[in-house]
Amino acid sequence: MRPWSSRSPFHPAVLTHCVAVTLVLWVWGSPSLVAAERPAPDLGAGKDAYRQHCARCHGATGRGDGVDAKRFYPRPRDLALGVYKFRSTASGTPPTDENLFQTISQGLPGSNMPDWQHLDEGVRWQIVAYLRSLSPVFEKVQPAPVQLADDPGPARADHAKGKALYETLGCAACHGSAGRANGPSAGGLVDDWGMPIRPANLTQGWSYRGGHDPRSVMLRVLTGIDGAGMPSYAEALSPEEAWHLAYYVTSLQEPVHWNLVARAVRVDDSLPSAVDDPRWAEADRTDLQLDNVVNATGEWASPPTVNAASLEAVYNDEAIAFRFTWDDPTQDLHAPHDGFALLLKPVGSEGDVVTLQAWPSAGAPPLDVCYWSAERGTAWEAVATDFDSVTTPSVSTPPFLQSASGYQDGRWRMVVQRALHPNHPRGAAVVTTEAFTSIAVAVWDGGNPGSRAVSSWIDIALREP
Amino acid sequence: MTRSRLLSTVGVIVVAIGCGSGKPQSASAQARSPEHAEVGAPTQLALLSESPQPASGHSAATIQGVVRLSGTAPQRALVKMSADPVCQQQHAEPFYSEETVVDEQGGLKNVFVYVKQGLTGAFPAPAEPVALDQSGCWYRPHVFGVQADQPLGIINSDATLHNVNAKPTLNQPFNIAQPVKGMKTTKKFAKPEVMVKFKCNVHPWMSAYAGVVDHPFFGVTDEHGAVTISGLPAGTYVLEAWHEKYGTQTQTVTVADGETKPIEWTFSTQ
Ligand code: HEC
Ligand code: HEC
Repeated sequence: MRPWSSRSPFHPAVLTHCVAVTLVLWVWGSPSLVAAERPAPDLGAGKDAYRQHCARCHGATGRGDGVDAKRFYPRPRDLALGVYKFRSTASGTPPTDENLFQTISQGLPGSNMPDWQHLDEGVRWQIVAYLRSLSPVFEKVQPAPVQLADDPGPARADHAKGKALYETLGCAACHGSAGRANGPSAGGLVDDWGMPIRPANLTQGWSYRGGHDPRSVMLRVLTGIDGAGMPSYAEALSPEEAWHLAYYVTSLQEPVHWNLVARAVRVDDSLPSAVDDPRWAEADRTDLQLDNVVNATGEWASPPTVNAASLEAVYNDEAIAFRFTWDDPTQDLHAPHDGFALLLKPVGSEGDVVTLQAWPSAGAPPLDVCYWSAERGTAWEAVATDFDSVTTPSVSTPPFLQSASGYQDGRWRMVVQRALHPNHPRGAAVVTTEAFTSIAVAVWDGGNPGSRAVSSWIDIALREP
Repeated sequence: MTRSRLLSTVGVIVVAIGCGSGKPQSASAQARSPEHAEVGAPTQLALLSESPQPASGHSAATIQGVVRLSGTAPQRALVKMSADPVCQQQHAEPFYSEETVVDEQGGLKNVFVYVKQGLTGAFPAPAEPVALDQSGCWYRPHVFGVQADQPLGIINSDATLHNVNAKPTLNQPFNIAQPVKGMKTTKKFAKPEVMVKFKCNVHPWMSAYAGVVDHPFFGVTDEHGAVTISGLPAGTYVLEAWHEKYGTQTQTVTVADGETKPIEWTFSTQ
């Protein structure tokens, strides 16, 4: 096998050029998207387009029971119930046609609902008319748009006021005081469709489905998220205050770098070994989106609780140190406990593990697993063909790695060091300046037993200063 | 800011006292007549106005109902409120679920009893609100009746966030936040619907049920399983008794003018 080892769709030569490329977040909610011209409703045309594009998820009759439905969290909406999350209208009233048009046009980022920008605007409007015909709610109840105030703009938004509102309004009960989806009520939420649901991690702007710009957030607060348990605050704060709160919430969003190549920075002296070593600030941050591994029937056992992890890496002549950061709503030190694994693809192994979703699987080659256990507070390394043989260390005494960790307000940080060229375990992955090494991560949340979240593969590159 | 906006609304309401003290809600027709008004009846926000009874005078009939539970009643579950210290602090004693509450004679509390069929004519909704209080992180009352279009005053008496997530199917649902102590919101249900469930997502142990009917002939059983519906015009009626766990039962009764009719229902744990 070639030194690049990974059979990821990106060729290394291309990758070198994309080193600095980060995926830019789509800004949702710009009103300009709403078409000026709207065709006369034609239910037949709307139905045809729906059958063609939407039925596989939302079901032939809109009951949310399409063939693909069970694979997704959240599930595709049962459109016959007439309960809509993303509206500009009062809680309990249906969305406006423009709201529906916007959802269809922009999709719901952070969920499996794609955008339908490529469909003709006219077709999108016909689909809107068809969606309305699926639930009697549109006939019975008029959408009642919430009262809005003018956008004060970022300069005039009052951060302190927004923060105070976040506290008095009890957002933290669900979202946590730092917005990391770890409030005391976060664990027990059930949506109107009977599925467990988690509050949004407000630091992850990319995961907001209805848009992460201040205007969208302001609407979510005033209208509530019907069906999801998040209440409307229209009677609890003024439209002006809603803007201050919205600007505060957007300030919680952290910038993300979905790098395809993570760069490790070279240092001459010793590697940082503490989670809060100031030198981490000089390293590049790379974010990895995580997906829960689905069970054998392809269904979600429970909603994912860990959705992303970020890493920084630093190396010297002998070793490389990684700092990983991930939000996990609960700190679980006893079984089932939290855990984290850095996986490296040893060069020259036969075959390939294209995605960790499908690992372990029969015939898949071994991977180098650096596993950290919150129960033991230590990390060790093994070359294995499955996770179980690594996470249960009784099997053999693996080489222990130097590690440190800390948990604070819904966030784990963990530092682990390993040799660039480890002598053991046998077959361990080598990290060199000559080639990229494929890495990925896996995260266990003890508070969400049976769940394992995994990233896709990226490459780590050693960078001279 | 928020506080002043909220509190100004709160100032004008008369909050019922003694919520959750175990006093049953009697049929609103009765509760509104001054001689029957019970001190601390939990659901009447303001008992001040004396609107006429629908079938006033001595000729009206009274239903004296008793609801029992046969079989071994399940243990009342301990409600764990540790997720929210504000809730926890309000209960020095262990607090138990109100799902199945029976006395020694098997009298079943929190059964909504109402006239399901047989009434003619329209019964205008009273202007005075029924109160639903959130206090000690519990809905008080747990089961209550309200007339369609009658105001329902929802109050947060706790210094913590509650959200009121009403999930009717015939009426318009809503889910509103009441983050500040003393906040009050008034809502109405336009159509009869038995029952409308309320829940609080912040405190998943909280739930309440409202029977929405388009007349005043309803009541909720007290801790002895007793319920009185008075002021009923002579006639033949289908009465229904609803319990959140044991379902519904109906009975047909005929009452004459001035009659007081005892009725019994027995729900079974089997
Ligand atoms: C790949 C699966 C998939 C396809 C295809 C799909 N959807 Fe969805 N859709 C979803 C999921 C998942 C959700 C739920 C997202 C959530 O609850 O946050 C959803 C939610 C929605 C909602 C609810 C928005 C709200 O405010 O609550 C609407 C409307 C909708 N989809 C319309 C459509 C239409 C119209 C099409 C076809 C043009 C379509 N969807 C195709 C997966 C899909
Ligand atoms: C009762 C729990 C609860 C409370 C209280 C609550 N939220 Fe939420 N919130 C949720 C849930 C659950 C979701 C995720 C909804 C989903 O997945 O469809 C959410 C999602 C969000 C989102 C993301 C919306 C999107 O477009 O995806 C924002 C922003 C948000 N909440 C802000 C707030 C703010 C600000 C407050 C306080 C004013 C607040 N929430 C209070 C439960 C709550």
